[in-house]
Amino acid sequence: MANGFDIEKAPEFVGPREPAPRGAAPFKWERVALAGHSWLVYAFLYAPILVLIIYSFNVGRHTSSWDGFTFDWYAKLMGNELLLRSVKNSLIVAGLTTVFSTIIGTAAALALGRSEFLGKGVTQAALFLPIVIPEIVLGAAMVSLFGAIGLRLSIWTVVVAHVAFSISYVAIVVRARLSGFDRSLEEASMDLGAGPVETFFRVTLPLILPGIVAGALLVFTISIDDYVITSFVAGVGATTLPLQIYSMIKVGVTPEVNAVSTLLLVFTVVMIVCSQRLQQQPGESGGKKK
Amino acid sequence: MKRGIGLALVAAVCGLLVTACGGPKERQLNMFIWSAYIPDDVIEEFTKRTGIKVNYDTYDSNEVILEKLMSGVADYDIVCPSDYMVAILAKENLLLKLDHARLPNLANNNPQFLNKKFDPANAMSVPYFWGTTGIGYNKEKFPGGVTSWAAIFDEANKGRILMLDDMRECFGAALKFLGQSLNETDPAVIGQAAELLKKQKDLVLTYNSGDFANILAAGDVDLAHGYNGQIAEVVKEHEGKLGYVMPKEGGTVWMDSLCIPAASRNVDAAYAFLNFVMEPEINARIVNAMHYASANEPAKAFIDPSILNDPAVYPDAETIARCEFIEDIGEAVTVMDKYWTEIKAQ
Repeated sequence: MANGFDIEKAPEFVGPREPAPRGAAPFKWERVALAGHSWLVYAFLYAPILVLIIYSFNVGRHTSSWDGFTFDWYAKLMGNELLLRSVKNSLIVAGLTTVFSTIIGTAAALALGRSEFLGKGVTQAALFLPIVIPEIVLGAAMVSLFGAIGLRLSIWTVVVAHVAFSISYVAIVVRARLSGFDRSLEEASMDLGAGPVETFFRVTLPLILPGIVAGALLVFTISIDDYVITSFVAGVGATTLPLQIYSMIKVGVTPEVNAVSTLLLVFTVVMIVCSQRLQQQPGESGGKKK
Repeated sequence: MKRGIGLALVAAVCGLLVTACGGPKERQLNMFIWSAYIPDDVIEEFTKRTGIKVNYDTYDSNEVILEKLMSGVADYDIVCPSDYMVAILAKENLLLKLDHARLPNLANNNPQFLNKKFDPANAMSVPYFWGTTGIGYNKEKFPGGVTSWAAIFDEANKGRILMLDDMRECFGAALKFLGQSLNETDPAVIGQAAELLKKQKDLVLTYNSGDFANILAAGDVDLAHGYNGQIAEVVKEHEGKLGYVMPKEGGTVWMDSLCIPAASRNVDAAYAFLNFVMEPEINARIVNAMHYASANEPAKAFIDPSILNDPAVYPDAETIARCEFIEDIGEAVTVMDKYWTEIKAQ
């Protein structure tokens, strides 16, 4: 009765054709428009990828015409040592970068989110720099640094460079996750007798894990994708996939690139599904079996 | 299950670290070269003969060589710069002065391609491939053939033209069409060429330095400004449909050379490799696989006749005489750069 609406006198509910009262579900056409818009956005994002995958099976070299179905390009890819080696390098660099930058970035986020220390403001600002500075400046700066200290370029310099700019991404993502964190849970854990380390691994970490995983996935993608900085700091035998593909542009890109991209896509999807599984088991750590 | 995943992760990281470390050090040669510029079987043959392991990285532009060598911490023993880049690298003292006594096979090269302006007396480089930049065209659209740069400036071909995305090459075409040298330094003349290119921009479908041969082959354009090697490949692939011509006004001749960086740590291996690729039979194998012309005379006995007689790959002396190497034009390059920016921006 709050707004003068008498249920006794209300007409029978006949479905969503009535104009809905304020605060109820949107019109049907609004829902259709929203769905339609979402599908268009997905199409815009995924249509090029779909074309890429389809044309990895094309007999012809160009996307101008479909000449028939074949697995030839995948077979050729298996024989293309340079391309395969560059995939291996990309995965090694991305893997190592993810591991190191996730650990360091999470530690940074925890420190910045919880404690006051000398130089906190500066650290916070410095953490944003790698994201804001143009890649080409970062790349040139790093190669100058390596030159100045005499560090020979190799796959390790690529890892170092990638970790350097990736820490910021992880720190920011985890920091966001931390802001909703209820510290009383940690206090409760310590009240119950767990030390700070045990509290961290059994209470804090599981709770911020989604943020860490999000940061790790972001960093993995950015590392695989990176071209500018990598081209500056890569040394002998450190050619990564983007560098290899760019160098193939001079002589014409073949559908082997489509094939390797498709395989990488499949691998990424599998990884994401696994990481989802990893997160969908709340409260299971050391829990009792029923 | 989570513990299992955790252990798996740790094992994976250790595995990654071990893989990345690599094996024990043996005699090596670190090569930095254009993509698809040397066939794998030639590299394997070199390793088989000398026991030197070859590490091979690729790049997509000359400037990457400059950047890597200038850093002072890149470990390359062989690089393959284009003509103008050899001059730049030499000026920066980044190349090793070659001891010709250690390169007996250097004499196999046609003197026409030795002692060029960008490297007098071949102090720092040996020729690898050379070629021309001309026009690839669709024979069905131009049954009488194409003979002059006029075709790419002709209104009648609007939207069916592709130009290289390269300032010196585009200005080169325009300057040659105007009857000038492509190393012209007079700003007024450069300005005339710029006017021509500005008017041409409406006729050009795209500026592309990488995929021009494929774009021509796909039929998206009828005229493609491009390097002869790649165009010769698609001409062969599409029998009778495509052609390549060096216009009568002349054009660019370019050369890619092999050099040894001054900071190289495997100098013996590098000299061995240079001699190896200048051997007639090996050189012929490289030419047969890559479709670009080399300067090696004795190799001609082993080169596939269809390549040797292809005027697109091995033009006659008269055609080469009409062509010029792109050289440093000093201050005039800033003038050209300004015009190029205007042309691309309009």
